[in-house]
Amino acid sequence: MSKSASSASSAAPVKIFRAAVTRTVPLSPGHFLIALKPIGLSGLQHARAGQFFMLGLPSGRICKDPLLKRPFSYLRMGAEIEFLYRVCGKATSLMCSLLPGEEMELIGPLGNSYPAPDYKNAKIPLVVAGGIGIASVFPLVEGLKGKEFHLFFGSRDSGGLLLVEELKALANKNLHLSTEDGSMGEKGTIVELLSRFLAGKDKGAFTVYACGPKAMLAEISALGLEGYISVEEKMACGFGVCLGCAVKTQTGYKRACKEGPVFDIREVVFDR
Amino acid sequence: MIKPDLSVTIGRLSLRNPVMTASGTGGYGEELAGFFDLSGLGAIVMKGISLAPWQGNPVPRIAETHCGMLNSIGLQNVGLRVFIKEKLPFVRKFDVPVIANILGNTVPEYVKIAKSLDDEGVDGIELNVSCPNVKKGGISFGTDLKTCSVLVRKVRAKLQRAVLIVKLSPAAPDIAEFARQAEAEGADAISLINTVPAMAIDINTRRPLVRNGYGGLSGPAIKPIALRMVHLAARAVRIPVIGMGGISSGEDAVEFLLAGATAVAVGTAIFSNPMAPLEVAAGIARYMEKHGISGISGLTGGLIEDS
Repeated sequence: MSKSASSASSAAPVKIFRAAVTRTVPLSPGHFLIALKPIGLSGLQHARAGQFFMLGLPSGRICKDPLLKRPFSYLRMGAEIEFLYRVCGKATSLMCSLLPGEEMELIGPLGNSYPAPDYKNAKIPLVVAGGIGIASVFPLVEGLKGKEFHLFFGSRDSGGLLLVEELKALANKNLHLSTEDGSMGEKGTIVELLSRFLAGKDKGAFTVYACGPKAMLAEISALGLEGYISVEEKMACGFGVCLGCAVKTQTGYKRACKEGPVFDIREVVFDR
Repeated sequence: MIKPDLSVTIGRLSLRNPVMTASGTGGYGEELAGFFDLSGLGAIVMKGISLAPWQGNPVPRIAETHCGMLNSIGLQNVGLRVFIKEKLPFVRKFDVPVIANILGNTVPEYVKIAKSLDDEGVDGIELNVSCPNVKKGGISFGTDLKTCSVLVRKVRAKLQRAVLIVKLSPAAPDIAEFARQAEAEGADAISLINTVPAMAIDINTRRPLVRNGYGGLSGPAIKPIALRMVHLAARAVRIPVIGMGGISSGEDAVEFLLAGATAVAVGTAIFSNPMAPLEVAAGIARYMEKHGISGISGLTGGLIEDS
């Protein structure tokens, strides 16, 4: 049931709504895809690549633990909204035991999105995903199908390299995989693989689009490339009021959920 | 049964219903306005404002705990000038009383902000004497009776129009005494409780979960603490009490009204449900209809205490 309080809200870009689990698909140990179908909702704005939703259990439930919703990048959106996630705490543990038909409550779509690549100025996109960061860039990659781009996808092990078949179909020979343990693709980190790719090339010919662990993003921002990174910070609300998800930038703290999660790569200040 | 009348008055201020947003949980109104018409609120209490902009603490600033959360935001705010220039005009578009929450490191700072905002015509000023997150200033006001009294007195003297609300901390040594003192110094109302000083530790990193070390605990976990303090404070004063702490439903709000509150604030619940303030108001109305209560005064202080 839509929770919009007035007709003005039916035009609102961000909504809070219930959605029923239609499918949970285990992809690899600790990694799942969940698909949810919005209930009784009209006018839900289609998410743009890089945006996210806050997911939780319905308000009005008796047990308030876990209290807060969690942010998840959307993977695909149609009649259902699909998300990838890695089990890393109590909320994600709970999610993987939800049965089809059980309801969650969502807020979204939230955040900003990846700017469209600048093909007019011959900037080839270098999409870089670390671990579960693949979820954030996936809609971007889908939108680049048929165009020239490279996708660099790395993880600790092969279990973290999700949706490889779908990605092969989208990126063909321009899919570059790495695992730190060497169990799939090149052995090493994705930044090492990216650096090898860039050796001897004109960096100005590329725009990077990166999402992954903070350490990965920090290393990429030091490579001298133009482009965008999508960051993650602990969020209570996800829609801009709590100020929990502060990102240090050249012009002060910005909200990852509102002014982000996508930032210009030169804007974000990495500590240490 | 006639539709219940949810209106309440705080000093000279009339509210259409007893539900307001808690400072720091509704921003300056822009985001909530995307979910519902702000005119449906009893009042909007804005994010606390200091004279100069405050940056806030390094992240992580928040951590979830059982049925609650810790925050150590650090009172990040845009500062008085931007507040007046950009934030106030936005909420003014709605037919909702605007209560500004103010912070300072010194009494003169509080007084300066209070006077400026009173001149701007805000409907109410809530004095934040109690945030546990800043390392200087705030914490000492809310736990030292004499300093708190002086602060309230000096701000009161400068206000011509705005109602003065003093927001008390659960860390106050004697909540009833602080409530009495605020009333004696001329406060139109008191609001409580602010967050409870607390901590959480990550045993894998061996670090506190919030970067600042300690944080303020809020959410359902603190409701029992808040209720007792509202009850103690409400018995000590005649001025209206605004109760808050873990309210997420009409039923929660009714507990606070019965304990002695005239109005309530909804805070943390907004983070997981931006519609919470409206749902709380609707829940109060349903309770009143069910029990044949026509006005909020039929609930305030209605707790039956067998001695």
